[in-house]
Amino acid sequence: MDSKSLMINYTHRQAGHCESGATSNLYNFYGYKMSEPMAFGIGTGIYFSYLPFIKLMFAPMMSFRNLPNTVFRRSANYLGVDATVIKKFSNVKDSMDALDRNLEKGIPTGVQVGVFNLTFFPPEYRQHYNMHNMVVFGKEGDLYHISDTVMEHPQTLTYDDLVRVRWAKGAFAPKGKMYWINQMPKELDIKKGVELGIKKSVYEMTKVPFWLIGIKGMKVMGRDIKKWPKKHGNQKAAFYLGQILRMAEDFGTGGAGFRYIYGAFLKESGQKFENAVLLDAADLMGRTANKWREFTYIGARNCKNRSSQPEEDYNTLGDMMLEIAGMEEQVFKKIEKVKI
Amino acid sequence: MEKQMENSNPVYKNKSYGQYREMLYSYDENGNFQKSVSYHGEPDRVVLEQAWDLFNERAEEAKQKVLAGKVSPIAYYMEKILADPMGLSMMAGVSLWKVKLHCKPFFFKRLSDRTLTQYAEAFNISMEQLKNFEHLTGK
Repeated sequence: MDSKSLMINYTHRQAGHCESGATSNLYNFYGYKMSEPMAFGIGTGIYFSYLPFIKLMFAPMMSFRNLPNTVFRRSANYLGVDATVIKKFSNVKDSMDALDRNLEKGIPTGVQVGVFNLTFFPPEYRQHYNMHNMVVFGKEGDLYHISDTVMEHPQTLTYDDLVRVRWAKGAFAPKGKMYWINQMPKELDIKKGVELGIKKSVYEMTKVPFWLIGIKGMKVMGRDIKKWPKKHGNQKAAFYLGQILRMAEDFGTGGAGFRYIYGAFLKESGQKFENAVLLDAADLMGRTANKWREFTYIGARNCKNRSSQPEEDYNTLGDMMLEIAGMEEQVFKKIEKVKI
Repeated sequence: MEKQMENSNPVYKNKSYGQYREMLYSYDENGNFQKSVSYHGEPDRVVLEQAWDLFNERAEEAKQKVLAGKVSPIAYYMEKILADPMGLSMMAGVSLWKVKLHCKPFFFKRLSDRTLTQYAEAFNISMEQLKNFEHLTGK
């Protein structure tokens, strides 16, 4: 362990979502101005899956985001950026040495971590969630400087703490995964990236031939919500409902399960290429996101008095979810055959 | 804010609880997407409290069971790190059926030091702490 200090001149900006924030910050570092929604949209961050047979924190698992590292990998792919992703290391020492080498070369490096042992993270969020992303941009002796886009300011971690979070165990274990940008092309072809990103998102949200993924999954969940109080009792139903709200509003989603960010992406690209269809879709997406937030407010009333009779009927909540699913379906129908 | 401080759950007593501001997006009537940085809203706080109260309840229940000698300390520490047997088996590297057996005091007493170290590492505590459960809670 040497004591010399390595600091890269990296600008930290807070963002709604950890991975798209890290990606947009990395692009900004290499001199290309890219907003967070843009990175999120091109990297196809939007997603939905409902997996009731897997229990995450004692409640059915659902996900509003794509698998870890998708945003970075796909956006680099679609824009033709030369980037490296190392999926896993065989041992701890290798992974830390590779990180040190990168910092010596002056490359800010993204790492995937688990949040349970992340010391600077707010205590209420420390659950077993292994898909968090942050960027390491400096080292001073034993201390690593971290830019975690969910936090307001840059943070520091010691060597041992960083090892512990990079090698967190459990489902979706990061195994020391890291990624960085080698070189940017002179001109980024944003138009092509947006086109490819929208195409892939439309496929993932509406056309995957599996009934629990995308819009279909939302409809299944809507129907399941209606059954919960009878099947599991009021208390458990309230906890399951709470899981949806936690996933949709917390854990660095930017609110409403990333729908606001995707709407902002549609709006930004619509303005950039002067496309009326995209602007129209952005408006509808914004209204869908507002509906999500309304769902959160109404659902939270049930979670507040969890043992007594529920204030809101679960049938109403289920219908609301089906309505949201219908609205989102319209958005993706609209942008399905868009010509930019 | 003051209401949370009265709660017995250790998470609420942490100094940095609720001191964190997140970035949220919103969509206004004029059709603009806005960014704002603020503390948790009311629904966020409610659902987070709900989750942490449940985790605390489960840990407390497990503790009583351990003190009564019905389950082994492994079951308590498992609840403490918010894991289920499946998650613990992944974290400690012990197979699932063994984890379930080790939750019973009879099998826990027979554990080798090597397996105990594996568990202790997953729980992030020392092996002595794992062994001397009664000594710790009997104050």
